[in-house]
Amino acid sequence: MSRIEAKKPSLCTNEPLTKERVSFSLSVLSGIVKSCYGPTGRLKQLHNGMGGYVRTTSQSSALLGGLSITHPVLKVLTASVQNHISRFSDCGLFTAILCCSLVENFQRINFAACTVTKISRHLLSLCTDYLKSEACGCRISVDFDSIKTLLSLVHSVLASKPACMLNKTEANHLSTLVLKAFLLTIPHTVETNVVLGKCVIVPVKDKRVMDSTVFPGLLIEIPESQLARTFPVIRVSSSTIKMALFCISLSGDLSNIGEGTVIVHHGISLEVAVLDQLLNLGKQLINDQVDLVVCQKVIHPSLKQYLEEHRVITIDRVGVSMMEPLSQMTGSQPIAALHSVSPTCYGSLKDLRTESFVSKNFLHLIPNDTLVCSLILCNRNEMAWDELKLACQTAEHVLQLTIKQPLALLGGGCTETHLASYIRHKSFTLPASVLKAIDCSRTQYQLVADAFSRSLECVACCLEHDDGEILTDMVYGHFWSVQSGFPSDCNWSDLVLKCGCGICSNQQNLNWTVLQSQCIPFTPQSCSNEPSVNSTDHLVLDCFTAKCSGLQVAVETTNLILDLSYIVEDQN
Amino acid sequence: MIMAFRNVNRRCHMGLQQLSSLASIGRTLLGPVKSYKFIVDVSTSESVLTCSAVRLLESLDLTSAVGQLLNETIQAQNKDYKTGMTTLLFLVGAWSSAVLECLQQNVPFSLIVSVMSEGLNSCSEKIQCLQLSVHDLYKGSDSVPMHFGSSSLGVPEGLHSHQASPCDPHNRYLNSHLCTADYRTPLLVEPVGNKTMPVLPGSSLIASSCNKRTRLTHSRYFNTPGKSHCSLQVDNFGGPPTGPAACPYEFNDFGQLAMALSHGNQSSMKLVHDIVRCQQQVADHTGSFQFNIAEVLTCCLPGLAEHYSCVCPGYITLVSPEKATVTKKLQDRPLQILLVDGDLTEKYRHLGFNRPSNVRIISENVGLQESNSESLWINYVLDILIQAKVNLVLVKGNVCESLMERCILNNILIINPVTHNVLLAFGKGTGIQLVTYLSQVNSHCVGSSVWVDFWRTGDLSTMELDNKVPISIKAEGIHLVTAVLSSTVTSKMQVIEDRFWTCAYRLHHALTDQKVFPGGGAVELLCLSHLKKLEEQSLKQGDDKPSGDFYMSSCWLTKSFTQYKPVVLKALASGWHQYLSRVMCNTAHYASEFEASTSIEHNLKKAADCGSPSAYILKEFNKGDKVMVDFGLLTKREEAVKVYDNVTPKVEAWRRALDLVLLVLQTDAEIITGPKRNQLLNSHGSSEFIFL
Repeated sequence: MSRIEAKKPSLCTNEPLTKERVSFSLSVLSGIVKSCYGPTGRLKQLHNGMGGYVRTTSQSSALLGGLSITHPVLKVLTASVQNHISRFSDCGLFTAILCCSLVENFQRINFAACTVTKISRHLLSLCTDYLKSEACGCRISVDFDSIKTLLSLVHSVLASKPACMLNKTEANHLSTLVLKAFLLTIPHTVETNVVLGKCVIVPVKDKRVMDSTVFPGLLIEIPESQLARTFPVIRVSSSTIKMALFCISLSGDLSNIGEGTVIVHHGISLEVAVLDQLLNLGKQLINDQVDLVVCQKVIHPSLKQYLEEHRVITIDRVGVSMMEPLSQMTGSQPIAALHSVSPTCYGSLKDLRTESFVSKNFLHLIPNDTLVCSLILCNRNEMAWDELKLACQTAEHVLQLTIKQPLALLGGGCTETHLASYIRHKSFTLPASVLKAIDCSRTQYQLVADAFSRSLECVACCLEHDDGEILTDMVYGHFWSVQSGFPSDCNWSDLVLKCGCGICSNQQNLNWTVLQSQCIPFTPQSCSNEPSVNSTDHLVLDCFTAKCSGLQVAVETTNLILDLSYIVEDQN
Repeated sequence: MIMAFRNVNRRCHMGLQQLSSLASIGRTLLGPVKSYKFIVDVSTSESVLTCSAVRLLESLDLTSAVGQLLNETIQAQNKDYKTGMTTLLFLVGAWSSAVLECLQQNVPFSLIVSVMSEGLNSCSEKIQCLQLSVHDLYKGSDSVPMHFGSSSLGVPEGLHSHQASPCDPHNRYLNSHLCTADYRTPLLVEPVGNKTMPVLPGSSLIASSCNKRTRLTHSRYFNTPGKSHCSLQVDNFGGPPTGPAACPYEFNDFGQLAMALSHGNQSSMKLVHDIVRCQQQVADHTGSFQFNIAEVLTCCLPGLAEHYSCVCPGYITLVSPEKATVTKKLQDRPLQILLVDGDLTEKYRHLGFNRPSNVRIISENVGLQESNSESLWINYVLDILIQAKVNLVLVKGNVCESLMERCILNNILIINPVTHNVLLAFGKGTGIQLVTYLSQVNSHCVGSSVWVDFWRTGDLSTMELDNKVPISIKAEGIHLVTAVLSSTVTSKMQVIEDRFWTCAYRLHHALTDQKVFPGGGAVELLCLSHLKKLEEQSLKQGDDKPSGDFYMSSCWLTKSFTQYKPVVLKALASGWHQYLSRVMCNTAHYASEFEASTSIEHNLKKAADCGSPSAYILKEFNKGDKVMVDFGLLTKREEAVKVYDNVTPKVEAWRRALDLVLLVLQTDAEIITGPKRNQLLNSHGSSEFIFL
């Protein structure tokens, strides 16, 4: 007997943003992301409270991936940020903080949502136009002739993840490695369609960071027993090594027989039948003079034994992540069937060696034309390793984005404060025709622009976690931090040392003011001609593409959230 | 929303407080004189006896996030180095309370993080000048005496009688005395000493040294104790006999290094040293020698007196009496061996083999039973074994009971479970391949020239313990060495085994690093003096000259460095200071930590006055004062052996400890997801959480 239950009516909430629960949840989320931002950001322990793995992190992808958010308004926000992260890896926290601040600041001015939306869209276009123009004062072009700027980009990414637990030497070492690995993936000859190679991260946990290193080609970990078994039999005489790559399981099971029931007569063994097939395959491989068989999944011990007795090296269980680089590097087609293996599927290798590295053994596959490299990444414990891996992947992605668009934005809060000054200035000088086109008054425009600038400045302020105070200069509009509680009559240049990105120093007699205090709007100057741009010090730089996208995503998500008038929830 | 959010950072840092209180449980475990701890499970009344940081944390129920991080850190150190865990645990506690003090003085978080981590870095670089090369301490293998005269490997006639003869004076080395006199045992009142030791016939040496009241002199922090510390003076077989011919501690070789690394566990280190000799002897046949820890095994014989502990070439394991009868029949002749890297059951399939769920077997004959297939399989397997003339099978996993019985009837000895290491060693030694299924068996998989025998004690008698018989398996060309460990107190077995491995790994790391530190607090003392210097420098430095050593992300922090740097450096130093004084107190030479602390200050001052602290410390060390931090006692002749510390494990333990403290310091919130959230909502502490 089935029980029938009456459907519950849907729950409809109007004006969700005005509800206390939403604004409280939003402020908690905003507190979490703000406190994580930057090199001195605070860390969060993510765990299930029942003895599960404790992830300590300050990175947006791990953080947002770990939060289980169910409220629709917050979901809109986190989903857009996560989408941004999946496309650009970097600037996730920037996007989340800017979005939260925009929502807070726009709510405060209490205009009709449509007015705010229209004006903020216009402000966004002002920003993106400015960032993309030659006149932009907060970007520098990346010179690929020297590694300095690239190294700064990588270093800025790694240094902003404190849970990696890197000291200065380790951060420098890893920055160099990540850059080296990236350079190994760039083709030597540039054709119209440039395809970058792959950098495979090989995990070595519980070891010192300084043990990390980069190898061209691929490293596959093998047990020591296999090392002893494999190496007397290798054919070093031949100039190339023929290789077969399997993406199906060669374990001899019947996992792919499909649905329905197979009826077998007693006395007939399916296993033996499959094993016979496998051994036939082995015979073909030996006839085809294959030297190396690599399988994504498991190889049946009998097949392994048969192949090894015929001096074929076998490696199994390499995992799905290795398949693409393996196929790319050797030119082999992953084989997905036991029969009809075409000789055209085979790939080739230049050489095969073994490497022993911090008590692990690896088979080193050396290709003819290397575009694939292995970054052996070490860190002292699993948690710090996870964090470091994520940071290295982000850095690699930033380099890839930078090669497409060779620009970098000034980091350390300078881009945000510079952009805020620019917007403030623009809102005062905007021609009346533009105001008419977007149908708003100058006061309205200026108020929204002010909220917009404040939000940008708020992101910059989140870099400070130790109760310091933030100043800005009236020439470049850069970010300067000072110790709080300074006397009001002191000389500003005695307080400051360097701006956030490291381009400007206290030597220049700039005119400083406390950030977010009322001051006369000014046009921020470009400082890309400053001598310090070419000095040896590391600048703090941000990825241009990722930050531009982050800005856009934040503004558009804010507009969407402000526009929400009803939430309809199905209660069943 | 399935998420609870807890703010960790209130006025006083909760995470650090948790960390400091958790770590404080390990304080009495520091140094060579440890107090045992009993861990009792109230619900089951089960208890565990432990005196190591790893086992202690393993046995505790650490569900808090901080507790888990601490446990992970200790386990990671254990996995890699097997030594330094107690140091790590202690420093975590000392540094977390030092950091808490910094917080009370309003030092910015980020400053604590960077000054401490760069300070440790600077110290780690500074102490490199103290490193001593192992080559200087180990003068090559020429001087190593052979102690396995009657058991030369590779000579088949000798294989079945591998135990050294009781008349052999060197037998004393082999049957090392696993005494724990240097461990204060509050619950186990009587350390197992001479009372249970039978005087072996023909062993005049033992008889002569038996009644000597000797003192422990080779512990790292140990000096001749005064009369007031008689609790530490125990009649001890492990102590050095006085006769020059019998003094086991005056090696001009490996032994010197090994003993210097024993840190009070001479008896365990003695076994390690014997293993080295044993491996060396095998290597003499093949040429190059290195201490291969992967080919070292242990076999625990609980219930047997500790003096039975010894080192034997080959693989020693316990078998049932039925198998012992097979062993009896197989001994004294070369055997054929098979190595199985899996289970030996009908249903076993290799890893990665997925059983299809939708295959149905139909049969036209009525009455064919499931059991039939198993007996068919057993016959098949037995046929293979008999055809291949296999007498001995080492199996990694389970073995089907009925097969085992049939094999015993056919005089085939099956040993299981055997670790992968052992299988590999036999594979390497006999040059055969491991198989997963018996269907794979061919000529490449069956090895020959393997010998089994009963494990015999010094007087050549065999043993039966708790219905188990120890047997030994040897093969030509095999390098495996087993340390047989015994203890009459079963609950101490684990402690003895752990201690053995710690010693083995200490030697292993010293040989891998090729360098050691002078022990007895020398390194910590140099760190303290270096930090003091840094502190003074930072006080002298001008405001606008941020030190090049230190790296700051925020600029105002760089400027306010001078203001806070001395405070933070002091906090860092206090960790090592507490460490030293605690060790000094635990060895019971100092009545209070205050007294110990005064002594440290005194030494620091002397080092500073000397101009070059490192030179002063090395000079003192070479003078024979193995303990830098003066323990206020005279140096006796027995102290001629110096004390050394491992390099990498020590520095890594420091780094891991500091990393953990700084990680917890920088954490300001716990985010709890999953079903636990509802429990928290209804609990008393729900006000501590923010629920989303």
